[in-house]
Amino acid sequence: MRAPPVLATLSLCLCFAAQVHAHKNRPVATLEPVGTWSCVVYGHPAFGDERVLLDVARDGSVRAAHERDGEISPWVSLTTWYVDDATMTFTDLHDGRRYEADLTFETLGGKWRTPTLLGGWWCSRGEPGLGPKLEKAKLETSMPPLLPSFTATPIYPIKAIREAKQGRAVSCFFVDPDGNVRQPEIVELSDEIFRAPILNALARSRYQPLPGENALRPGCRTFVFRLEPLTGDAVVAE
Amino acid sequence: MARTQLIGLIVSLAAGAAGAQSSDRADRAESRTVLGVNDFLAQGAEQIRMRQYDEGIRLTTLGLAQASSINERAAALSNLCAAYAAKGNPDRAIDYCTQSLMLREDNWRAYSNRSYAYYLKGQYRQAHEDLDLAASINPEAPTIEKIRGMINEKSLRPSITMEDHR
Repeated sequence: MRAPPVLATLSLCLCFAAQVHAHKNRPVATLEPVGTWSCVVYGHPAFGDERVLLDVARDGSVRAAHERDGEISPWVSLTTWYVDDATMTFTDLHDGRRYEADLTFETLGGKWRTPTLLGGWWCSRGEPGLGPKLEKAKLETSMPPLLPSFTATPIYPIKAIREAKQGRAVSCFFVDPDGNVRQPEIVELSDEIFRAPILNALARSRYQPLPGENALRPGCRTFVFRLEPLTGDAVVAE
Repeated sequence: MARTQLIGLIVSLAAGAAGAQSSDRADRAESRTVLGVNDFLAQGAEQIRMRQYDEGIRLTTLGLAQASSINERAAALSNLCAAYAAKGNPDRAIDYCTQSLMLREDNWRAYSNRSYAYYLKGQYRQAHEDLDLAASINPEAPTIEKIRGMINEKSLRPSITMEDHR
């Protein structure tokens, strides 16, 4: 007769322990998304790379302003944002893109998707007051251009060649006023074997400096690792 | 004992040619399947395993003349193939491996050795084909993956494309 209460108590304990365990394993958001952000949005076959200002408000609203031809368009309202499991989500109803940001990163950024497309975005925190009313002359300081001056190519890992591994990766980062790549983050990676060469190459890459400016400029770089068979047997072993 | 030596040589040959120092446990376990090795073959195998290729070839050739079964002949021919491949004579190696495979077409070592010989000649497509056959017979043999890695290294051209988003 005493067995059922004991079992019930035991199962309650187990259930509680499982919940505690699940809670412990949940990602914890460390980034405060509220603020104005200078972003690069990439991966749309029609739009190409876009530079966008995002204004994330504490009341849940999000506004976006696109940079086009050296000018910033008026603010456009997006859906409200919410956070679930350290992932911030909002949607641009004008083009149907749903944006997701991983708030465990050190900056705002992540993936966007539509039913048929998938891309990414990456932001650096902007000065308060950035927006469409900005004078054109100040545009370069709020969304300064990012022009590579030296692009280092990663080394294709010999182990990957031996194992015939191909892959793709995207890394996003900041560029400091001296043109150095800072805080590179691998946001997509098909195989861990490519991580180290990518980070090494980024550390050697340089962008054109912006003397006198303090802003960190956001940028991303896609890497595609391919192996192609050498033609026929005409190639002689060394 | 002799069977183990016979198997070890082929593994050592392929692995030795690839730069490795020792054979593997899986290959050694496989050695129990080879039967009826005569003394010349066993000693020839040992010599080849010790990288004394000319002496190994001499002894194996004597053993081949005394071979009393198809299995022994096939193993001897495969070992000659291995020895000539290790000596850097892929044409003779291919010839011996092909003869061995005509006697026993399920000998993964002969396919593996011939694959290595094709690799030495820069004939990577044939090398891949033989390696696939060897792997279909013995998918666990690490030697096969070693040779495949060597072939890939020579026959695949890596390229990396980058695109900046800014």
